[in-house]
Amino acid sequence: MTWRDAWTCLRRSPCGDVPHNARMHDDPDPLLMALIDRVATRDETALKALYDHTSGKLFGLALRVTSRREWAEDALQEAFLQVWKNAADYRASLSPPMAWLGLIVRSRALDQLRRHRAEREHLTDEIDDALADTLEGGAANPMDTSLASQQAWALHQCLGKLESKQREVVSLAYLRDLSHSELAAQLRLPLGTVKSWIRRGLDQLRSCMAHFA
Amino acid sequence: MDIHRHPELLDRLASAYALGTLRGGARRRFEALAREQAPVRAAALVWQSRVASLNEVQQPAQPSPAVWQRIDNLVRAEREQQLMAQARARPAPASSGWWRSLPLWRGTTAAGALATVLAVVTAVGLRDDLSAQIGALQAQLSTQPQIEYVAVLNDDQASASMLVTFDPKNRKLTLQRVGGYQEAADKSLQLWALPPGAAPRSLGVLNQEKLLQLAADEQAVGGVPALAISLEPLGGVPSERGPTGPVLFKGALIQKLL
Repeated sequence: MTWRDAWTCLRRSPCGDVPHNARMHDDPDPLLMALIDRVATRDETALKALYDHTSGKLFGLALRVTSRREWAEDALQEAFLQVWKNAADYRASLSPPMAWLGLIVRSRALDQLRRHRAEREHLTDEIDDALADTLEGGAANPMDTSLASQQAWALHQCLGKLESKQREVVSLAYLRDLSHSELAAQLRLPLGTVKSWIRRGLDQLRSCMAHFA
Repeated sequence: MDIHRHPELLDRLASAYALGTLRGGARRRFEALAREQAPVRAAALVWQSRVASLNEVQQPAQPSPAVWQRIDNLVRAEREQQLMAQARARPAPASSGWWRSLPLWRGTTAAGALATVLAVVTAVGLRDDLSAQIGALQAQLSTQPQIEYVAVLNDDQASASMLVTFDPKNRKLTLQRVGGYQEAADKSLQLWALPPGAAPRSLGVLNQEKLLQLAADEQAVGGVPALAISLEPLGGVPSERGPTGPVLFKGALIQKLL
């Protein structure tokens, strides 16, 4: 029994009835790792294949960080050029492929945010209306586990147990690298509210993630 | 304090550290502890990796096809650059030919008169050697670039900014920056053919080097009366979209008859 089946057992019973998880047979990691290895040998067709497999997922991440298509596209472009140059370093990171690619894309997307914020100083505390509305309505921002590593799948399970506004605030704190007060300004929420949502969100995540340790 | 004797507190600090909400003095103190105590460092790494999984659960979205085009352009420009650097580093194959050897010719000149006499006498016998030499010279010549098209691209002050030559035999466009123009790090210069009565066609994207080669067919360049260079987002734009930025340099493309 894999740890993931074991986790499913915690939530459903009896365990024998658990349908076999399709993802286990359809693990994308070996393919992505082989492509990254080929990119490290300057194989341009492998770079294209890697882009075709992952650009949708990675662009979604860049878009979530920057909230502008133009900036997200620049971030995606810079990320893939970085992958082209540094693919040989991938193995040493000991990371699942999407975790490695995700870190690169988030870094480049944050660069874009900082660059454009520096150009437009007066918009530092720009309010993200779409996001503020999401929080007000209490609607959950949908999550997606396609291509996700096992660890991401675990986090996804735990995030799913949070209230949607807690999940949203915790996600944004990390994805956009925001402090409590920056989050409060962007989401038009009192500082105390943001702090308590994050604290409670993290507390719940910690106790939930402990099941996977 | 031996923070690792308080697992609950360590876990709380490590998770806030990884999320990025632990800031200021508290963050610096935690970082100092992590450097000193391996269990603290381990907790931070575990949480960094867990929190980074947030990157993997976002909804996918489709980027514009132009993004791949720009990545591909930059990768190609880099490859052309490397090929050219290799070609420059390699000694010209002809220089090793015996007919280029200076000491040999010096010696031969000293014996010039005698050689002339001998040549006349043995001309018939040497003819085969001579035709072999001519063959070698012709082979050498064919590896030399043959510049058949030249363009000098000027800016709007009519000062020369880019020298472009085209060698149809080796299908190489060579661009040399001659002005002091330097685009910003997030921009690229893109070269366009301006065919009469048709939309501009991209011939490639320049990198920041002084000298650059691009692969191009004679169809793409021959018969085009003018070339232009526009300022585009880093990596350029797809050819079918045409230039989106300002045209910085342009000039007539001339077929060389000399």
